[in-house]
Amino acid sequence: MRIGFPRALYYFDYYPFWAGFFHCLDIEVVTSPPTHRQIMDQGLKKASDETCLPLKLLAGHIQAFKDVDWIFLPRIVSVEADTYTCPKFLGIPESMLPAIPPGMSVLTVNLNWRKGKRQVLKDLEVLGEQLGKSKADIRKAFSQGLEWQQNYQDSMGAEWNFEESIREINRARKNSTESVQVPTLVRLKDRVLAKLPARTSKYTPESRIVDQKTTERLRIGLVGHSYLTHESYANLNLLKRLREKATVELVQNVNQEEVKRHLSGLRKKLFWSHSKQIYGAGKKFVADQKVDGIIYLTCFGCGTDSMVQELVSHKAREQHKPYMVVTLDEHSGEAGLVTRLEAFLDMVERRRAHEGYVSTYGECLDRNSNTV
Amino acid sequence: MKVTFPHMGNAWIVIQTLFESLNVEVVVPPFNSKRTLNLGTKLSPESACLPLKLNLGNYLEAASQGADTIVITGGIGPCRFGYYGEVERQILRDAGYNYEVVTLEPPDGSLLGLGKRIRFLAGSKNSWTKILKAMRFAYLKSVALDRVEDLIHAARPRLPEPILTEKLYEQARERLAQTMSEKGIQDTVRWVQESIRERQEAVNNSERINKPLRIGIVGEIYTILDPFSSVGIEEELGRLGVEVDRSIYLSGWVGSHIFRGIAPGYRSIRSYPRHAKPFLPHFVGGHGVETVGAAVKYAREGYDGIIQVFPLSCMPEIVAASVLPKVQEAYNIPIMTLIVDEHTGHAGIQTRLEAYVDLLERPRHLRESIETREGVLSVGG
Repeated sequence: MRIGFPRALYYFDYYPFWAGFFHCLDIEVVTSPPTHRQIMDQGLKKASDETCLPLKLLAGHIQAFKDVDWIFLPRIVSVEADTYTCPKFLGIPESMLPAIPPGMSVLTVNLNWRKGKRQVLKDLEVLGEQLGKSKADIRKAFSQGLEWQQNYQDSMGAEWNFEESIREINRARKNSTESVQVPTLVRLKDRVLAKLPARTSKYTPESRIVDQKTTERLRIGLVGHSYLTHESYANLNLLKRLREKATVELVQNVNQEEVKRHLSGLRKKLFWSHSKQIYGAGKKFVADQKVDGIIYLTCFGCGTDSMVQELVSHKAREQHKPYMVVTLDEHSGEAGLVTRLEAFLDMVERRRAHEGYVSTYGECLDRNSNTV
Repeated sequence: MKVTFPHMGNAWIVIQTLFESLNVEVVVPPFNSKRTLNLGTKLSPESACLPLKLNLGNYLEAASQGADTIVITGGIGPCRFGYYGEVERQILRDAGYNYEVVTLEPPDGSLLGLGKRIRFLAGSKNSWTKILKAMRFAYLKSVALDRVEDLIHAARPRLPEPILTEKLYEQARERLAQTMSEKGIQDTVRWVQESIRERQEAVNNSERINKPLRIGIVGEIYTILDPFSSVGIEEELGRLGVEVDRSIYLSGWVGSHIFRGIAPGYRSIRSYPRHAKPFLPHFVGGHGVETVGAAVKYAREGYDGIIQVFPLSCMPEIVAASVLPKVQEAYNIPIMTLIVDEHTGHAGIQTRLEAYVDLLERPRHLRESIETREGVLSVGG
């Protein structure tokens, strides 16, 4: 049995879970190819006009499947207590039905962590029935999925690379002859740990930052939804471009405790899980003296970002932190982005070089005359 | 303390009543206008939805009348309205307005917290019985308002001289706003019924329109309840000879959102999720499911058309909008989607509405013309 898993939206966050889950059930998972022009074009044709870029891309990826038995479109309602995902996630798969190629069927399941683990398991068991798997199988697969997800999240260090970790997961998935329970990811992390001196065995991103402090590179914090920051086709390779010129602090690399700490200043809790991460990380970058500037990556029509962006920009303004919002849509042009990026980086660099050097000489600083 | 609140259609009457019967000083902001929207748009994040922009405009205009406390309802998502209170507070503080924002919701699910907030607003003089009484009275008013609105919806296509109907509506709202007794509320509703009956009797039998087109309006609650943001779509349709029904009425929303379903309201919105089930089985926040459910309900009840209205980038309604084509297909009913934002022009909406109504009238005409053609052919044959 082959299941098609579109490389869009929740792929960037929860693929490891589903990879582990289906791997344990002995079901082959096929991911759609990385986004390319045709996928985007197909998506634009089938998705509704008003929806946002990531969903249009999802519609494109759905159409990219060739010979799969099911297209897997879970309804991820919530991933932790007291939060939701975006309302558009809640409308999947119904809102995506127009994009399903004729003759293909959809496999879906509700995932609602608000109601606790038991409910999630129950819903997954319903899915299991559909796939002809027993309850015990589902339980086992569930715990393996969680384990893979945990390993994946643990591996998010300072120099973490999304593509790299996904490759590790896929490698683990294919090596079914190996002991299944431990994906190679963990071993990779162990290797890193082993290399470090024994005293710094508490491996934290901070320890890295101290090492790199001597370098002169700019440090830019990038915040935004994972399906935009890692979607290198849609964001016109922003991450790579940025990494060429500066050290990037990625929103996904900020660990949960830190996010939680920075969320405490809000009068009302944010109820979107992604937004919590974005706001918490954004606030951390604002407070972090080592971060020279912040780029907020959003897409046109994103409802949650329209609120959270305001909150983050408010914080950045308070601290006089350079801050830029990049809004993506299907018409984003490369030249425009590059120009803005360069201008921003130049600005940040100038600021770092000249910060605080305001001449105290003279009585007025009149730009129209060069006499005092 | 001077309390103010954002406008949403007729909601001001209800909220004003609530605070006045508790002897809390309340500032009703000037009605939504181009000025309100311009003021609000300047402060708002550009991609925020229309209600936020209008809300901020309301607060600014109310501030010039001395208001210092804002009351707004909340929610825990996933619609972004739930986060309005906090974002608006920060925006206003940034802009130099020293507003206290009270969000009427149980903070982190604590009813005690909600009680404290109500107590803060009502002051120490009002007893809980008095507060509950005031809430009940305000609720009765909202039900009466909805009844009046429904009567006006039915009267618009059937009575000549639309200006008189609008005047009647205006007067009824004024009376309802002023009355402070249950009898006054009932009398106003009766008065509206009587006036409509009188005028209807004055119309000749031959000119009487008995079966106007019926259009159901569904969509995002703020834009369908607030005539300014939907560019007066109901009035416009009424003038075009269409009877309008709406998926959500104020009291229905109050009943489910504030009273948590204890009071059903004039038109309960409870049945909608059931109708929506075959098309959208899961809630999507806001009123997305209600929109789909109401569309199905209207289609089943034999309405001629359905119009969905929502502000640009509204997340739940976008989901609903991508499901509605299936409803359109299943019930063979034309559904039009109108998206409004601060750039929406009256003429644009008017043209679209006229075209849409023409489209709905065509099947009726066609039926008649087919009959005549048969006649002609039979003569020719």
